[in-house]
Amino acid sequence: MLMTVLDQFGAFAGALAGLLSQPVSWLLLIGASLLGITFGALPGLTATLGVGLLATLTYSLDLNMALIALIAMYVGAVYGGSYSAILLNIPGTAASAASAMDGYPMAQRGEAGRVLGLTTTASFVGTVVGMLALVVVAPLILELALQFTSYEFFLLALFGIIISGTLQSSDLVIKGWIAGFLGLALSTVGRDGLMFFPRFTFGVPELDSGIEVVPVLIGAFAIPQIIHGLREGDGAVRLQAVGRILPDIRTMLRNLKHVIRSAMIGVGIGAVPGVGEDIAGWVSYGTAKASSPNPENFGKGEPAGLISSETANNACIGGALIPLVTLGIPGSPPAVMLLGALMLHGLTPGPMLSIEQPNFLVELAAIMVLASLAMWINGMLLARQVVKLLRIPPSLFLPVVAILSVLGSYALGLSTFNLYLMFAVGLAAYFLTRMHYPISALVIGVILGPMADENLRRALMVGQGDLTPFVTRPLSLILVLAITLIVLSQLPAYRRWRARALQRLRTAGAGGDGA
Amino acid sequence: MRKFMGGAGAAAAVALVAAATVARAEDYPARDISVVVVWAAGGGTDTVNRLIAAEMQQHLPARINVVNRTGGVGGSAGMSFVYGQPADGYTLAGISESNVTAGVQGGWDQRFEVWQPFIVGGSPDLVSVSANAPYQTLKELIEAAKAKPGEIRVGASAAGSIHHLNLLALEKGTGAKFNYIPYDGSAPAQNAAVSGEVAVVVTSLAEQQQLIRAKRLRPLAMLTPNAVSVEGIGDVPSAFADFPDLKEHLPIQQAIGFAVRADAPDAVKKTLTDAFDKAVQSDKVKGWAAQNFYEISGKSGEAAREEFQRLEGLFAWTLHELGAATVSPEKLGIPKPAK
Repeated sequence: MLMTVLDQFGAFAGALAGLLSQPVSWLLLIGASLLGITFGALPGLTATLGVGLLATLTYSLDLNMALIALIAMYVGAVYGGSYSAILLNIPGTAASAASAMDGYPMAQRGEAGRVLGLTTTASFVGTVVGMLALVVVAPLILELALQFTSYEFFLLALFGIIISGTLQSSDLVIKGWIAGFLGLALSTVGRDGLMFFPRFTFGVPELDSGIEVVPVLIGAFAIPQIIHGLREGDGAVRLQAVGRILPDIRTMLRNLKHVIRSAMIGVGIGAVPGVGEDIAGWVSYGTAKASSPNPENFGKGEPAGLISSETANNACIGGALIPLVTLGIPGSPPAVMLLGALMLHGLTPGPMLSIEQPNFLVELAAIMVLASLAMWINGMLLARQVVKLLRIPPSLFLPVVAILSVLGSYALGLSTFNLYLMFAVGLAAYFLTRMHYPISALVIGVILGPMADENLRRALMVGQGDLTPFVTRPLSLILVLAITLIVLSQLPAYRRWRARALQRLRTAGAGGDGA
Repeated sequence: MRKFMGGAGAAAAVALVAAATVARAEDYPARDISVVVVWAAGGGTDTVNRLIAAEMQQHLPARINVVNRTGGVGGSAGMSFVYGQPADGYTLAGISESNVTAGVQGGWDQRFEVWQPFIVGGSPDLVSVSANAPYQTLKELIEAAKAKPGEIRVGASAAGSIHHLNLLALEKGTGAKFNYIPYDGSAPAQNAAVSGEVAVVVTSLAEQQQLIRAKRLRPLAMLTPNAVSVEGIGDVPSAFADFPDLKEHLPIQQAIGFAVRADAPDAVKKTLTDAFDKAVQSDKVKGWAAQNFYEISGKSGEAAREEFQRLEGLFAWTLHELGAATVSPEKLGIPKPAK
C-alpha cells in the first residue's frame, strides 16, 4: 500500500517536472488561467462556455498542452465568478452566487482586499483537495455517486431550492421559498425533457427551447444593482479603504473545520453526474450556517460563509472529474465540454483509460495542481488592480456594467429574445428585491427546476405511482429528513424550543466549567 | 443627380454580384466554406463534422471552417440561418437525423427535402441490461417482458428521440411491452441502468462502449442486421437472428453529416460529392469510426435524400402519435410510413 502511494508520488513529481520543463506550458497555463478568471468575472460568460470555446481552439495542440489550457480555464472560471460577486454583488457565474452573501458585505465594510485574498486561498485549497480526492479515493466516491437515482436527484434539487431560499431571506423565510418556487415555475416553460411536450410556450418559437439561465442570471443580479446605483447617485457610495491584500492564512486556519467540510461537500456534489459548482456552493454555505454557533452573522459579512462556498465550488472540479475519468460520465456541465475536448483528441475517458494510458490520472492531477497555483498567483496579483474598480464613480462604472450585461445575454445564442428576457426578469427582480424577496433563490429555482421536475415525474413512472421509495432508500431518507429539518427549523415554535435548549445547555456548560 | 449615381452604382453592384455568382458555380470553391453545425460543440454531430471537414478540405482548394449555431426547435435556428444564405455551397449545415423533426415541432415551415444531405454515418443502437440483471440473452428478456407486460423498465432518451423510436420498433417486432422511462439524453439513461433504476437501456454503441467494457452494462443484441465485435467482450449478436420480424421495423440508424441547399447548382454538388467520397474513404475517418464504434454510410445524392425522407416520415408520425407534434405531418405533406 505504502509502496504504491510512493510510486504514485514519484510518477506525479515526474509528470510535474515534465510539464514545467516546457516554457510553452508556462505561457499556456498563465494565459488560460487569466482568460478563465475573466470569463468567470464577466456576467454571462460561464466556465462551461469557456471550456467549450477552448476545446476547439486547442484542437491542434498536443493532448497535455490542451489539457493544461482547459483545466486552467475551468479552475480560473469557477474562481473568477467571485470577483464580481464580492465587488459588485453581481455573481459572474451561478457558482459564486453564494459567495456574494458574505463577500459583498465584507467588501462594503472596507475589507475588499482581505476578502479577495481569502477567496483566492479558499479556491486554491478547494481545488487541491478535489485533486487529492480524484487521485486517492475516486473508486469509493464513484460508488456513492452512482447510488443517485431519480428519487435522490429530485430531493437534491428540492434541497438546493429550499436551502437557498432559507439562507437569504432578510425578514420572512417564506419569501425565500416563494422566490424559489417562482424560479421553479419559470423553468417549466418550454419542451419538457421527458415526453417532449410544449408547456407554456403560447406558440412562440423562442419559448420552445425554454428559458435560458444566463439571461435570467444577468437580469436578476445586474439590473437591480444598476437601478439601485443610479438611484443612489455618486454621492452615496464608495469606500476609501480596501484593506491590504493578504492570503490571510490565519483566518483560513481558524475556519479549518469549515474548509474541510466544504471541500468534502464540494467533492461529493461534483461527483454526482449532472450536478455542478452552483449547487455545491449553496449546499456548503447552508451547512456552514446551520452548524455555526452564530448563524445570525451569516449574510452580514461572515468570513466562514465566504470560505465555505468558495472552497466547495472549486473542490467540485476534482469531484466532477471522478466519474469522468473512471466511467466517462461527466460530473458537471463544464466537465461535459471537457469530455468533448478529450474525444476530439482521440481519448475516450472511461474504465479503459487506466489500462490504455496508465499515467493519465497522475498527469491530470499534476495539471490540476499547476492550474490552481496559476490561479492563486494570478489572483493575488490581480486583486490589487481589481479592487480599484471600487474607486470608479458609479456614473462611469454602471453604464459599463450595463453594456457588459447586454453583451453577455446576447452573446450566448445571438438571440434578441434573450435581451427582452433579461430586461423583463431584471425589472421584476428589482421590485422583488425592494420587497425583500431574495433574488438568488429565484435563479437557483430556474437552474434546478428541470432537475426537480423531470426526476420527480420519472421517479413516479419508475415506481408506478408509489411514493414509499422516498423513505425506504437510505440516501433518499437522509435528504427527506434534511429537508424536513430545514422547514421545521423555520417554524416559530421550533425556534423558541431551540433557544430554550441552547440556554439550558449554556448554563449547564458554565456550571460544569466552574466545578 | 447624386441619387441617380447611387442607383447606377447599385445596379452595377448587382450586375457584379450576379457575374460573380455565375463565375462561382464553375470554379467553386473560390473562397472558404463554412459548416454551421446546428447542435452544440463537443457533441456527436459536431465531432463528425469537424472530422469530415478536415479531410474534405485536403481535396478542395479552400478551407472548411466549422462553427456552431444552436437553439430553436429541432435545430431550426441553425437550419433557418443556413437556408437564409445564398444557395451557392459556401454555407453548409451540419445536421443529424433529429433535424427532420423541426417541421412538425413548429421550428420552421419547410420539409427536409429543401436539403441535399451527405451522410457520414452513425453509431448503431443496441439493447443492454444492468450487469446484475437476470437476462443473459435478448430472448430471455423478451420472454420475461411477455410474461409481465409493461413491467420491465427500459431507459432511453426523451420521447420521439432516435433511441425511443428503436425501442418502439423493438416492441412492435417482438410483441413485448416494456415500461418506457424517458431520460434527458443517453448518458443519464445509461447511468440509470448502471445504478439499477432501469433494468434495460437502448442507446448507441458509441455511447455505451465504455460502460460495456467496464462490465457495468451487459450487451444483449444489436438493433441492426449485423453482429458487432467489442474488444474484451466478444460478439454482440444481431436481434434479427432470433426475431426476424424486426426487419420490418428496423434498422433506424443515426444519420450524421452535413447538407447543402437542394437548389444549389449541380456543379457545386458534384464538387462536394467528390471531396466527400474521398474523405469518407480516408484512413483517418475509417480509423476514427472503428475506434468509436461508428458505421460509415457515405451516402450522398439520391440515396441520402431517400434515407432522410424515410427518417422524416418515421420521426414526424411517431411524434404526432405521441401528441408531441405541434404541426400535423399531414399539413406539411409528409407521407405516413407504410408500417
